[in-house]
Amino acid sequence: MTARPVSGVQSSRGLTGLLLVAVPVLLFAWMTIWPILSGLARALTPEQADGSRPVSFANFVTFFSDPYSLANLGITLWTCLVTLGLLLAICIPLALYLRFAQGRLATYVQTMAMFPMFVPSIILAFAFIRVLGPNGTVDLLLNAVGLPKIRSPYLTPWGPVIGLVWDNIPLTVLILVSGLGAVSNQAVEAARDVGAKPLALFWHIILPRMWTSVAVVVSFTMLGLFASFTLPYVLGPASPEMMGPFMQRTFRDLRNPEMALTQATVTMLFCIAFGLFYVRAVARNRES
Amino acid sequence: MKRRAFLISAGGVAAGMVLLPRMSFAAEGKIDWYTSSDTNILDFWTNVVAPKFEAANPGLSINLIDAGDGAGQDAIADRALAALQTKTDPQADYFETADPMSPKGAMEAGLYVNLKDSLSNWSKVNPLAVETDFAVPYRGSQVLLAYDTTKLPAADVPKTWADLVTWIKANPGQFIYNRPDKGGSGGNFVRRAIHEANGRDPSLFTLDNFTPEYAEKTLAPAWEILNDIAPSLFDNGAYTSGNTQSVQLLGQSAVTMIPAWSDQALQGISTGVLPETTGLVQLTDLAFSGGFSRGVVLANGANKDAAIKLADFVLTEEIQSAIIVELGGFPGVSWDNVAEDLRNKYKDIVPSTIPTFPGGDWGAAISDGWYRSVAPNVDRNS
Repeated sequence: MTARPVSGVQSSRGLTGLLLVAVPVLLFAWMTIWPILSGLARALTPEQADGSRPVSFANFVTFFSDPYSLANLGITLWTCLVTLGLLLAICIPLALYLRFAQGRLATYVQTMAMFPMFVPSIILAFAFIRVLGPNGTVDLLLNAVGLPKIRSPYLTPWGPVIGLVWDNIPLTVLILVSGLGAVSNQAVEAARDVGAKPLALFWHIILPRMWTSVAVVVSFTMLGLFASFTLPYVLGPASPEMMGPFMQRTFRDLRNPEMALTQATVTMLFCIAFGLFYVRAVARNRES
Repeated sequence: MKRRAFLISAGGVAAGMVLLPRMSFAAEGKIDWYTSSDTNILDFWTNVVAPKFEAANPGLSINLIDAGDGAGQDAIADRALAALQTKTDPQADYFETADPMSPKGAMEAGLYVNLKDSLSNWSKVNPLAVETDFAVPYRGSQVLLAYDTTKLPAADVPKTWADLVTWIKANPGQFIYNRPDKGGSGGNFVRRAIHEANGRDPSLFTLDNFTPEYAEKTLAPAWEILNDIAPSLFDNGAYTSGNTQSVQLLGQSAVTMIPAWSDQALQGISTGVLPETTGLVQLTDLAFSGGFSRGVVLANGANKDAAIKLADFVLTEEIQSAIIVELGGFPGVSWDNVAEDLRNKYKDIVPSTIPTFPGGDWGAAISDGWYRSVAPNVDRNS
């Protein structure tokens, strides 16, 4: 046995690795962790009349004892959950189709599914008013065949839901399709050979391998939905408002950064839950 | 296979593009100009003010930047204030319209140039429009009622607040105004209700007389008025989230009448966003509040002197006349300083006064009060 001459090389490689990872880590600490900590600190130390800042939960007590704020939190959770449910219901079949279908039609479907990614949400919002709004395109088409107008979802809680579902289809489909890459054609063919019906195939072969990507979708889209702003702002009702517009209004119009930070902290706590869900899903995937 | 490979890589590329760093530095002689106003104002600057200014001042140019909305511009102002403290380049020289009271402490810290002392044209400014010496009122606008003459003949249009309320109640679903914090047309509709609830006396509200108790006393009756008409509004009490959305609903013939900014309505009619058959009317018992847009110059901007020149330039007769003709707005200067033919042409339709409503703490009180007392009080499903 000789000495291990590679050890020197290994440690220098380790250093290079650390240096490479240091840039994103520092950036993350500076741009994300630091604002979170400073925001948290400010929300927890409300400024008193004399200018002092003792530690207190007063801001959070105010938030959780204010029915108006709670209604806004409630509509945010409702919107996120309903949107997520609709997204999964639409995107899982779509992803399965794109994974297994061949030919020209699949290309068109894929283009359609990716299209929303290239439409800015403010354009989407105004197009929505044109199409689904009162006397919009849908109403005109219905009117042309003698049917009554729709009850427009514009300025109701369903407005943001419809807009957000459309806006989030590409990301959801992308994640699900990449997850479906773990399903090998051989496994599917083998199952078919022994006579598995489509539903059994989906349940026993495909779904177990999809769980991770579904978990990623759930956490990613929930984070995105919680933070959504433009669509709830333009399409949603004046009250209750989602947390995004509510925070912005508290910060800017009410000039109350402390309360806005409190709202942001509450929102962040919910997001952390989904973040942990994501980390666990990825970690479990690594282990297996 | 190609298609699938694209599908997987597309997500990564899209995410990467968002993260690409963008670096910029203020350029010499190029005024970094920001606006939070609607597109019509940006168009006006792009097509009228900037070319005229650049022609009159060789070597200077304007970098027109749309800050999106007030929050976007506030972020730039916050950055400029931080830059003032660290003595670095804020990469901003001029705000098309801004409140020098914001961000808190900025005016005291010397973020904004005292324009009264710096502008040679300051004496032309309409004294009624001046709020502070740090912001130059250069254009005004007023909220009017815009309506569909095919559904409501001009002869039957309401001309007083009481008639308007009667009309709204008699025609449920045909009127909508936007949330008061999301655009001045709805904002000044709400302020008109506040005036109505307080004896139609705008002088009761000043920048300095705000106290929470006084606000409670004066605003509560206005919320009653607005709650009273809420069930008769579009969709049993819906409120759009901006001036443009209200105009769009009128354009789609979804409602018959909206409050609208005079300049936006006039421009909407001329560009076809609103049909030719759109009528405009002002209330005669007390006009809707209007407001002046006030430009500010940043004291620590790299092109401060050029920006001061620009602030002076917007007060010239050339630009002030263009504001009337091209923008459908009111001049920021006294009418004596407007071209004579325009003065004669508009003297009958431009009111001699524009009631205004102070900003500052009043804005926050009105926004919070409206959201808590007016917006939620309707069961939309009934």
